[in-house]
Amino acid sequence: MDYVYTILILIGLFVILASSFDLVIGHCGLISIAHPIFYAIGAYVSAMLSKQSGMPVPLSILCGGVGALLASALVAVPALRVSGDYLLIASIGFQLGLIELAKHFHEIGGAGGLTNIPSFLIKDFGRETYVVLVLALAVVTVLFIRWLTQGPYGRMMTAMRDDELAFSMLGRNAIWIKVAVFAIGSGIAGIAGGLYAHYFRFLEPDQFGLLQSSAVLTMVVVGGMRTTMGPVIGAIVLQLMPQIITFFNLPPSILGPLQGLLFTGLVLFFMFVRPQGLLAAADLWVGHKPQGDAGHSGKEACS
Amino acid sequence: MSATLEIRGLCKSFGGIVVADSIDLDLVAGRVLGLIGPNGAGKTSLFNLVCGVVKPDAGLVMLDGQSFEGLPTYQRARMGLARTWQNLRLFPSLTVIDNLMLGPRAYSADRLVDVLFRPAQIRAHEAEARDRALDILERTGLSPIARSRVQDISFGQQKLVGVARALMNDARCLLLDEPMAGVEGQTYALIQKAVRDIAASGVAICVVEHNVAFIRDLCDEGVFMFAGKVLARGSVEQLIADPHLTELYFGT
Ligand SMILES: Nc1ncnc2c1ncn2[C@@H]1O[C@H](COP(=O)(O)OP(=O)(O)OP(=O)(O)O)[C@@H](O)[C@H]1O
Ligand SMILES: [Mg+2]
Repeated sequence: MDYVYTILILIGLFVILASSFDLVIGHCGLISIAHPIFYAIGAYVSAMLSKQSGMPVPLSILCGGVGALLASALVAVPALRVSGDYLLIASIGFQLGLIELAKHFHEIGGAGGLTNIPSFLIKDFGRETYVVLVLALAVVTVLFIRWLTQGPYGRMMTAMRDDELAFSMLGRNAIWIKVAVFAIGSGIAGIAGGLYAHYFRFLEPDQFGLLQSSAVLTMVVVGGMRTTMGPVIGAIVLQLMPQIITFFNLPPSILGPLQGLLFTGLVLFFMFVRPQGLLAAADLWVGHKPQGDAGHSGKEACS
Repeated sequence: MSATLEIRGLCKSFGGIVVADSIDLDLVAGRVLGLIGPNGAGKTSLFNLVCGVVKPDAGLVMLDGQSFEGLPTYQRARMGLARTWQNLRLFPSLTVIDNLMLGPRAYSADRLVDVLFRPAQIRAHEAEARDRALDILERTGLSPIARSRVQDISFGQQKLVGVARALMNDARCLLLDEPMAGVEGQTYALIQKAVRDIAASGVAICVVEHNVAFIRDLCDEGVFMFAGKVLARGSVEQLIADPHLTELYFGT
């Protein structure tokens, strides 16, 4: 049963990660793949705060989220002031640099990893409670992002993606929209990190590297960018697939490479056969349906 | 009477090409100024300099006495500057009305903190923006296609949407870059009427246009630009009649 719980938890956490990453890369059009480093910051901050100073875990998870949010702004503000493209380089540098730093920083476990992180809920209420908590937060995250992207702010992001110069000419500050979305997406990833830390109770810097980045990116691309359910389906499929392969009882020497091949193959397949992902986003933003005139297509009106 | 928009000693060159050669120009409230000149004269570049899309080498621009120096494009827009683009630059992923709804100067839905923590204010701004957009669509004859996507409407209508979107700003100064290129028939008359009405409401307007008839019908005054220089200012008839300018316009 613990095995199933663990998979459900991982699915929930990756739904949160993939959805918040889609907010950043899909909805806002910010090219960055450093999302897992903010997951890591949330995990480490929460783990250290609860372990060292005995802070209650819910509070430490929240602090982890805020930490990730602030750290992301630290990267995004200078990078985005230069240009949108610069964010990719700056954030990867930040990701890899911070991982290296963590490996040499023994107070947080160094390369060997941080152990004995306080657990939460499990001792008193059982693992299923934690599963429910994570899945509930995953649902809340997905609904929040849906609400945000289909409201006025979603209209802003869509216009900014279409034509940033024309958007600025309307008096809209594109840089702060980018910084804000990058920050909120990273903050959500940070909360997921805290949830990870207090369930698995072990963190290792190398977990949060480029492999993790490509996994989250694959989830969003395979599921379908800028759709509510795309990142959810992507996260489920990509979490389950490796588990299914393990059922075939293959020796580890084959299993590892096979998983790698499967991920690569999947990305290649989607790139060539279905670049929009399993679910395709509509190419017209409509937002929440305004009451009264919903469903009215302009095509007939102008002919 | 002091000008709404004042351009003083504006200079800019791209490599060897001089696109603005110490330009001085005033735009006056309620008046439409036609900007005439051959291809490559620097008309669009002048708009880009005023909007802060391109940084000048020297000179300054002031709106209602306030300098634009060092301000990014979006802040200039918030101070009351609006423009259309020669190549449209509409938002293809949005419907016509959604293209317009991004345009009000004071509309806080681009601030995430307000979106998250001041839903009542956002709702009020959203309703205001919608009312304003509906009103402008009505005035420009675009109401029937308010919910169309912008790729699905005619080129002339797209030009009109560009003008309508600029009107959302409630600007003090409006720059129109070739609003008539490729437009004919009923839309032509609609754009003309829209520009007249805006000027009548006290906005300073500058129109770049190759369509001489349109310029003559619409503009109170004209300016002839060539190689980054303002060569002449006067009535449109005078400028058109000048043989020297005509020669420059059509090339030798
Ligand atoms: N960003 C830029 N970089 C380099 N050269 C530029 C840039 N923008 C404009 N130019 C050059 O400056 C000159 C003036 O261009 P501009 O677009 O201002 O002309 P225009 O008067 O608007 O012409 P048209 O009537 O064809 O629209 C052209 O030679 C153009 O190639
Ligand atoms: Mg031009």
